Amino acid sequence: MSLSRRHFLTTSAAGTAVFGLGLSPAFADTPAMPDWHLGYTSAPAGGFDPEPMRLVFGKVPKGLEGCLYRNGPAQFRYGKDDFASHWFDGDGMIQRIAIADGKAVHSGRFVQTTKRRIEQAHGKFMAPGFGTAGHPDFPVMGPDDVNAANTSVIVIDGQLYALWEGGSAIALDAATLETQGVKAWSDDLAGMPFLAHPKREPDGTVWNLAINGGNVGVYRIAADGSLKSFGLLNIGKAAYIHDWAMTDRHLVILVQPWINEAFRPPVVDGFEWRPEEGFKFLIVDKNDFSNRRWAQGPARAFYHTGAAWEDADGTIRIDAALYKEPVLGVGGGVDEIRGVWKGREARFQSDLTQIVIPPSGDARLVETGLDGDFPQVDPRRHGLPRRLTALMTGQPASRPGLSGVSVHDWETGTTDTFDFGESRMVEEFLFVPKPDRQGEADSWLIGPVLNLRTATSEICVFDAARVSDGPVCIWRGDRAWPLGFHGTWA
Amino acid sequence: MTFKPLILSTLALAIMAPAALAGPLTVTLENIQKQTGAIRLGVYDAAGYEGGKAVSGADVAVNAATVSVTVEGLAPGEYGIKLFHDVNGDGEMNSNPFGMPTEPFAFSNNAKGRFGPAKWDDARFEVTEDGAVQIITLN
Repeated sequence: MSLSRRHFLTTSAAGTAVFGLGLSPAFADTPAMPDWHLGYTSAPAGGFDPEPMRLVFGKVPKGLEGCLYRNGPAQFRYGKDDFASHWFDGDGMIQRIAIADGKAVHSGRFVQTTKRRIEQAHGKFMAPGFGTAGHPDFPVMGPDDVNAANTSVIVIDGQLYALWEGGSAIALDAATLETQGVKAWSDDLAGMPFLAHPKREPDGTVWNLAINGGNVGVYRIAADGSLKSFGLLNIGKAAYIHDWAMTDRHLVILVQPWINEAFRPPVVDGFEWRPEEGFKFLIVDKNDFSNRRWAQGPARAFYHTGAAWEDADGTIRIDAALYKEPVLGVGGGVDEIRGVWKGREARFQSDLTQIVIPPSGDARLVETGLDGDFPQVDPRRHGLPRRLTALMTGQPASRPGLSGVSVHDWETGTTDTFDFGESRMVEEFLFVPKPDRQGEADSWLIGPVLNLRTATSEICVFDAARVSDGPVCIWRGDRAWPLGFHGTWA
Repeated sequence: MTFKPLILSTLALAIMAPAALAGPLTVTLENIQKQTGAIRLGVYDAAGYEGGKAVSGADVAVNAATVSVTVEGLAPGEYGIKLFHDVNGDGEMNSNPFGMPTEPFAFSNNAKGRFGPAKWDDARFEVTEDGAVQIITLN
């Protein structure tokens, strides 16, 4: 016999399926998928029970203690061929990596939303969404009936929340990840959306937005989780707002010319790119919303900012990953979810850019030429002057996703990068300040990497001052979880 | 004489009148989260349902997780119920700054809407001479 072991395993699996020994259809057609499809494969419905990860490289730095929480879509398919219609519409799953005494323990749980409860009961996608028309019988009595809770997480005073952008935050137990329920910041704000990119001042005050067409609500939440104030603004048009920026004194709402005047599911179908309208910035005094001004710059699309700060003369500087036109619009991610890769389109390159808004007059763009996304900054300096922005970079031609971790220094104009190569898919890395140190580079960068050789997820730690030296340590789990969007360290 | 048939028919109407009314509509409201305020309930016919012109209704004080009310005097026919729990008792269905209701609401048949109130076809039910029973769960 010259059958390879792989061949033996494949035929054996098919044989078992014929005899009805309980192999799921998902398993039966897994060999047809490319290795990177692990990043877009549904996680087990029951989640991941806590399991230690093994230290496979380096030495765990002293003082690195805490929890990395991450969120991302983790339900991509029901049955054999009911695939999600858009990457942004998969149910959110929280991954928790608890690091203590040099050990890392991973667990994961789906957020138990109304959408998930109904779809799990029917075994198919039904809720209307960002890129999904939805089933005509799916009840929608409010935004939280279609809340996918799949975009980010925040911990405020020990309470964990899963965040989406069109609905409420959803409270979860920070230790067990059990869903506790929809959060209302006050009785009269029940059901208000809570954006997936809240901003935290160094003193712990959290600011966030609620978006509804041209209307923007502004939350100010104290470090203890109590609502301090809620105000309303209008930006004049229904621009897509996924993220925004904040200095120590101002809120900056970046109004990109990607407009949706027909807000019906699938939502993404209603967006129009209107570059002739330019990129507008509403700058609002945090202490007096009536004190505001507009600035304008050349048309760009974006999902993410790093943060912003102000010079002594009032010039505002915002770093963001800007695109010449919108990406991940209609059908975003559907090919990847089906294991299809058609290559990258050059027009979808991003450019890490500093948006410079002078005290009066138009904004100008300082472009670095660095193609990447998921910009992150030192949380001790959010809203304050700083030098460094971390960015996930490196785009292999052979597969979707990113492969590198970069730190850009705005003062020297240099970028320090470590690229893992084709065999690793890199997710967002966060700054974690080293205890008892004050310098901006006195931070670690921590994040997950999907190892395609071992088909397992890993947690990597870099020294922010020397990223190109490679990871200082790597923990490897015995299982893989799908690529997520955003995380927080607590 | 000419009066006789008129008197007879009037008498007949008087005798028939109770039979022209439907039996009582009993509405039981379950799963009430906060035991304060009142449930404000409107009963609508086909013509009034969408526009919100009720043919009857009730305010039910909330003092338990389940409360009941009986609506009498309806003519036999098809009706739909819209209700909300006026938790703070201000007489209004309160909403958040983007116009979404912040107080629980429900419809007959436990019908659900899709980007709006439940449709008449989903909420309608028959009230006969024997009356009708609706058990409605608040969200």
